[in-house]
Amino acid sequence: MILRTERLTKRFGGLTAVNNVEFALDSSECCAVIGPNGAGKTTLFNLLTGTLEPTSGSISLMRDGAWSDITGASPERVASLGVHRSFQLTSVFEASTVLENVRIAEQAAGVNAHNCWRNVNAFDEHVEAAHEILERVGLADQATVVAETLSHGEKRTLEIAIALAGDPDVLLLDEPNAGVSSESVGEIIQLIEDVASDHAVVLIEHNMEIVMSVSDRVLVLNQGQVIANDEPAAVRGDETVQKAYLGGYERGDLNTGGEPV
Amino acid sequence: MALITREYARDHLIHLLVLAALAIYPAVYHVLTNGGAPTGMVALLPRVETMVAVLYFGLFAMSFDFISGYTGYLSFGHAAFYGTGAYFVVLVANGKVPLLAPETPFIWLLVLAGVLAAVLALVIGTFSFRLTGVYFAMITLGFAQVLYVFMRDWEYLGANPRDGIAVTGLTEGFRIGVPGVDSLSVAIGQLAGEPIDLFGSTLGASTVSYYAVGLVVVVCYIAMQRIIHSPFGRVMIAIRENEARARAIGYNTFYYKLGAFSMSAFFAGVAGGLFAGFRRSVTPENGYYFLVTGDALLASIIGGFGTLAGPLYGRLFDEGLREFLSKSGSGGGLLVFLRDSLGHPAMETVVIGGMTVGELVETFLNGHAPLYVGIVFVLFVLYVPNGMVGTVRDRLGGTCAKQLPAWLSDRLTAIVTAIRERVSGVRH
Repeated sequence: MILRTERLTKRFGGLTAVNNVEFALDSSECCAVIGPNGAGKTTLFNLLTGTLEPTSGSISLMRDGAWSDITGASPERVASLGVHRSFQLTSVFEASTVLENVRIAEQAAGVNAHNCWRNVNAFDEHVEAAHEILERVGLADQATVVAETLSHGEKRTLEIAIALAGDPDVLLLDEPNAGVSSESVGEIIQLIEDVASDHAVVLIEHNMEIVMSVSDRVLVLNQGQVIANDEPAAVRGDETVQKAYLGGYERGDLNTGGEPV
Repeated sequence: MALITREYARDHLIHLLVLAALAIYPAVYHVLTNGGAPTGMVALLPRVETMVAVLYFGLFAMSFDFISGYTGYLSFGHAAFYGTGAYFVVLVANGKVPLLAPETPFIWLLVLAGVLAAVLALVIGTFSFRLTGVYFAMITLGFAQVLYVFMRDWEYLGANPRDGIAVTGLTEGFRIGVPGVDSLSVAIGQLAGEPIDLFGSTLGASTVSYYAVGLVVVVCYIAMQRIIHSPFGRVMIAIRENEARARAIGYNTFYYKLGAFSMSAFFAGVAGGLFAGFRRSVTPENGYYFLVTGDALLASIIGGFGTLAGPLYGRLFDEGLREFLSKSGSGGGLLVFLRDSLGHPAMETVVIGGMTVGELVETFLNGHAPLYVGIVFVLFVLYVPNGMVGTVRDRLGGTCAKQLPAWLSDRLTAIVTAIRERVSGVRH
């Protein structure tokens, strides 16, 4: 086990976005978080990464064989402890090159980030590590390209590449597939499977094809609450889950014009 | 090794060319404006004295760009640091600063002025960096204006603080060079500076000041350049590009911003110190007032935001244009040139509405420099939004230092090839 939450709750005024979520992630696991829009998936991510502070409950991270409490830690602290994330809305350093995007993330994990006197090119290790990551995700050919000129799909990949830099233990991927055409689903699946081979991964995803093929376990959220937490096949057959997704409609409801039979 | 040295030299070729151009400027000015040369040159070229102001204010504008252009946080109260540096130097010279004798070497004063400004920036930044965007600009402006009002009314500073303070405790000029060694340093100032005999010719006080101030500015530029190209500098750029992401990859951006702010204030303080050292006086208006920051912003936008050297060129453009359009007596610009060269009959010619050419020239040119500078500023924002250096960068696809040598050698090769083809064509 590497990451766990206890009774995690976040309220925005009267809205409870995340409600008493108990969640635990194994250190070699790929867990998908699914749920209809507004279920609290991204809020859960924002709580896990310190972007938001929970209203109540706690988050703990396994560090060197002991749990350490990271509830309310800042995003930079969480990142430096080895929990990295990618964003649902592409968030890269637009005016920098692809290589620099990953290099700067690699530099954050090193000890030289504060150096303000030596030329940045003197630190070969960051550049080499960045090249390795670009090689791994398949962006090596684009290394010198400015990020804003990349295609949408390539930017989504760069999102993951930045999160990979600095050798994190846990990767939180927020809809890596968002807005990418259905033809490239295969590539995304390959990429996620690849990064899941040596990281613990939490994945928010709407595309069921991806969820079913990459995840070891699926956590279903609805209105901030966990309504299912099981293997993919079991979740697929779960009635509560289907109900949540279909908004309470039964099969055949639409044929009768939505009126009660 | 040879390859690295060569690459290094190539990367800095442009820097060396600019330095060389700046270094020979006083000589060029002297030759072109004295006897025999076309009279227009006096109107066109900024005086050496003006160039001294371009240098120290250019340094201030660069320090402004260092924080505003590279981290994206518009430091609209940057004058606080410039004014602090300037007031500090004058106050020490007048014996008003405890523990520091008026005779303290000027170089140490510059360093202390920078340190004082940097400490002030830590205080201001600790509060201001809780905010972002326009709110950050407004709160830094607020701090600067508070200092402005305070320095205007603090009677300890001098007899009439509203009119500023002048150096009264010292008669000799502030010396730039090796501290405490007179033979290895020179005095600066329009009147307090001393001419120097060199290789059989005499350099005037302004020219000596130009080189001395220029030396400090170049050292500061190199220091800022190094910071920008260091890992720390890259984090500054990352903050400008996407601060949320910079935090998400593990940077405590608050401390990086505070550090960068403090560093930029250091150089602003040094610039203020140079300004006071050369002018030997400072007023709340030309030290702390928000329009001082406004001038730095103007220089940055004309020269290129987020290009360290740009603001210096921007300031040169700004000052050059102001002098070119100014009234007689401050450098002789277009107005004087037209008066002198058009001749009496032409000036008396009636053009429209009973106005003569002479009257038209007076109406449009006399004392309207700021108007034209304003128009140029608007045109720059509209049509050259990246400024002079930024636009060249975009054209070349990289920093000037990296790309310009390659671009030049490409052009030269093309020209040489074209000439060769011509020549061989003629032969056949």
